[in-house]
Amino acid sequence: MNATSMTMTEARLEWNPSDRGRVAMLCLIAAEAAIFTIFVVAYVFYLGKSLTGPLPKDVLSVPIVYTICLLSSSLTIHFAAKSLRRGEIKSFGVLWLATITLGAAFLYGTGIEWYRMIYKEGFTISTNLFGTTYYSLVGLHAFHVVVGLLSLSIVMVFTLLGRVRAEHAERIDVLSLYWHFVDAVWIVVFTVVYVIGR
Amino acid sequence: MSTDAIAMPSTAIAPRPIVATLHEWVTTVDHKRLGILYIIYALAFLLIAGVEAMIIRIQLIRPHNNFVSPQEFNRLFTMHGTTMIFFVIMPFMFGFANYLIPLMIGARDMAFPRLNAFSFWMTAFGGLLLYFSVVGANGLYGAGNAPDVGWFAYAPLTSQTFSVGHSTDFWILALLISGFGSIGTAINIIATVLCMRCPGMTLATMPLFAWLNLIMADLVILAVSPLTAAQIMLLIDRYLGGHFFDTQAGGSAVIWMHFFWVFGHPEVYILVLPAFAFASEIIPVFSRKPIFGYSVMVGATIAIGFISMSVWAHHMFTVGMSSAANNFFVISTMAIAVPTGIKIFNWLATMWGGKIEFKTPMLFCIAFLFQFLIAGLTGIMQGAAPFDWHLGNSYFVVAHFHYVIVGGILFCLFGAFYYWFPKMSGKMYSETLGKLHFWIFIIGFHLTFDFMHIPGLLGMPRRIYTYEPGRGWDTWNFIVTIGVFFQAAGILVFLGNLIWSYFRGKAAGSDPWDAWTLEWSTNSPPPAYNFASIPVVKSRRPLWDLKHPNDPDWNYE
Amino acid sequence: MASETLDLSPETERAKQGTIELPAPTAWPIILAFGLTLVFAGLVTSASVSILGAFFTIAGCVGWFRDVLPQEEHESVPIAGRVPTAETRHPQVAHVEWKTEELQRARLPLEIYPISAGVKGGLAGSVAMAILAVLYGILSGHGVWYPINLLSAGFFPARATTEQLAAIHWDAFIIASIVHVMCSSLVGLLYGVTLPMFPRGPVLFGGLIAPVLWSGLIHIMLEALDPVLKQRIDWGWFVVSQIGFGIVAGVVVSRQVRIRTWQYLPFAVRAGIEAPGTMREKSGRNGEP
Repeated sequence: MNATSMTMTEARLEWNPSDRGRVAMLCLIAAEAAIFTIFVVAYVFYLGKSLTGPLPKDVLSVPIVYTICLLSSSLTIHFAAKSLRRGEIKSFGVLWLATITLGAAFLYGTGIEWYRMIYKEGFTISTNLFGTTYYSLVGLHAFHVVVGLLSLSIVMVFTLLGRVRAEHAERIDVLSLYWHFVDAVWIVVFTVVYVIGR
Repeated sequence: MSTDAIAMPSTAIAPRPIVATLHEWVTTVDHKRLGILYIIYALAFLLIAGVEAMIIRIQLIRPHNNFVSPQEFNRLFTMHGTTMIFFVIMPFMFGFANYLIPLMIGARDMAFPRLNAFSFWMTAFGGLLLYFSVVGANGLYGAGNAPDVGWFAYAPLTSQTFSVGHSTDFWILALLISGFGSIGTAINIIATVLCMRCPGMTLATMPLFAWLNLIMADLVILAVSPLTAAQIMLLIDRYLGGHFFDTQAGGSAVIWMHFFWVFGHPEVYILVLPAFAFASEIIPVFSRKPIFGYSVMVGATIAIGFISMSVWAHHMFTVGMSSAANNFFVISTMAIAVPTGIKIFNWLATMWGGKIEFKTPMLFCIAFLFQFLIAGLTGIMQGAAPFDWHLGNSYFVVAHFHYVIVGGILFCLFGAFYYWFPKMSGKMYSETLGKLHFWIFIIGFHLTFDFMHIPGLLGMPRRIYTYEPGRGWDTWNFIVTIGVFFQAAGILVFLGNLIWSYFRGKAAGSDPWDAWTLEWSTNSPPPAYNFASIPVVKSRRPLWDLKHPNDPDWNYE
Repeated sequence: MASETLDLSPETERAKQGTIELPAPTAWPIILAFGLTLVFAGLVTSASVSILGAFFTIAGCVGWFRDVLPQEEHESVPIAGRVPTAETRHPQVAHVEWKTEELQRARLPLEIYPISAGVKGGLAGSVAMAILAVLYGILSGHGVWYPINLLSAGFFPARATTEQLAAIHWDAFIIASIVHVMCSSLVGLLYGVTLPMFPRGPVLFGGLIAPVLWSGLIHIMLEALDPVLKQRIDWGWFVVSQIGFGIVAGVVVSRQVRIRTWQYLPFAVRAGIEAPGTMREKSGRNGEP
């Protein structure tokens, strides 16, 4: 019989596995990207296949200002995370609030556009194929903005309560990954819906 | 929440009330308990879906049989397929992955224990919601009504016009909910494998089991998400009057097929990669040789992962795609046979020259090799578009994929059950009953699924609830149904073995198979913390190194 | 040595004190999952179910959040039981004896036949088979050319009568020769690869079992390949000539000199790269790192 203790003898090893939170967020982003891919494919596939009006160019107005809002919120969140890493809680709070405001402005933009189309022009998700694909794609994105805003707001509340400190920078980084993803998706959605599809 | 609840049971503790035990299991975040929950849950659904299959086969035992009505038959095959894929095999695989990955990579738990619990309960509630439809769905007749649109629910069958009431909605929502659970588990598996390995264990030295499950989890993320998207679209169609799959408004029924099979084919590999993982652990141990071609096995797995994303439309040759699309999917389907073939050769090469021990797990794995080969060959036959035009939607297809799922995946699963049962329960199973199970089940399997190919070749379409006599199908269907009873008997022996061994089996000891991966270095069943001190490894077979200090693996890797 | 390793992480520090911190059990995941399920189930039952589900969902989220923030809940589990020792029933390791290498382990197979062995065996077998086939032609009274024409009959469907099949056709002869030599050398190659893999009875397998097996296979497929041959074939003679091939090819293959495999060398060396460092240096004495 050959018996040895289970404790393995080994010199000190360099061992730095990657951060699990970041890995998980990247996986979640991959999964979400797959979902969006299917919706974008459906949108592109059904372009011009509606049997009845209205056409995209009849109802859509390009939300340039709100798009700039959303995309610039990526910048503010980036600098917010950076200042947190340096321990500047105050500037972190300001930039974080700016991010939330910009995101909310975008959501408001989507809201008034939908209000106009639904109540003024009578164009709904069941009007035609374009309505179905448009509302589901933009709505799916808006849903992700809402989820993002909720999590950003929770962080904001904790910041105001003075609970957020520099050691949370890693978690904030992970959360900002999600927000960057939401912004990146909007670039795709904007291109497909307002540039190519219109 | 008490701490002594998790501690090793000692003889002094009086039996605790059942409510306390139940509370412990419901609130657990321990990967081993969640793994066992997954497995028990899947076993329960295996019995349910197995009974459904038996009823289907009894209905088809002779022409013009009246065992069930056509409507019930539709519900039965829909529920059988949906249950077996989503609530039997996937939970089984997730259960084993949950239980074994942290043990194999020398970790104390999964990367996200609470997410792990959440994912399990999502899967569990998804399955319960699906079966609640049997009593809860308002069907055409006002009574309960299970989904009856087939497991791939082709449009326009799922539109409000053709599927009145809520039965299809139950199907959509159940899969949506369990899909969230699957994605959660997949994220957890990836994070665990990438971030929780013990010191010294690099990607190139971790067990193949972890590798295969890592690729499986990647596929879950990339494949289940499209299904989720398609289910959301279907919900929009059914609830908000959308037109995604409404051909009356310019929508396309074919795009549902694409969306479904973009999920559906990688799903086959999601199911089979963990089966490969079992085989890759069991075959070396019972051949007393290290796995042949570790790096090639990893490469082949990654290749399978990639190619499996580009073969989906071979399920759709009969739809009438362009010849360019047909060519592409024929070629990619043929291409995926190459890495799969490499794997089979590697397992054979592992066995060759080894001192093979024909224990029950090994028997199941050897049968798997043969049966999976045949299943792959009939798959290649149907991968050729012209051949598929003749046999698409026939019993040949049914026989083929049951050969994959039962002959390949389920056999590996049984092997895994017997192999890791001593670790999970601390008790040794009965080798006699195990062998009995193997032989009864393999007879039943071959009676059923070998002979099922023939009525398919003779033109018998799938999903018919009965057939005319005198078409040459009668005898074959009779044999096929007889085989089902053998399989059922085999399953009963299996369950009997599990239960008997759990209560009456001999103590197994920590390492009954003289194996080489880390899970065998701790007690059976493992304590809540898995390892009292985190192990440090230097090679792919850490226990070999400990057992043979004069001839360790790291000199050769 | 051992104690040094144990200092790797703070967890192992605690392990020394007799407890290990594990995530505490919590009910919030199941409550959240239940809530979400109810939210969806409301779609197929009634809105009140969804509202109840939303309540559970929010409760689950909040509770879960308080579990992990600001600090993840842990519980200390005492270390109990004895840590098992690694024992093996197979303490002896059989080492490969190879003349020149000091390697203790090797990739099986150690030796294989060269490709030329398979080709030689196949060609020798083809001669044996041709002799037997011609013998059949003579003994059956149809002449030397009859089996040759039969072999190539799939290419010339017009020649279907016995007279035509017994006559001399040079085109048929050329095609039959190509088919015969090609198939024979391919099967010979297969013999070269597989024969060393059979631990027992290569003669039985190569000479008898394999020819009978593929005769059966040909019996099934012949209708599609060569219907003329299918009608006229004499299965007894056919099997005899296959066995003749098998025995001769097997004997010739097994008489060839085996060569050493190169699997034990690193891939770079096998690929022909000559550079320092491609071969792994042996570190220390037998087996010690």
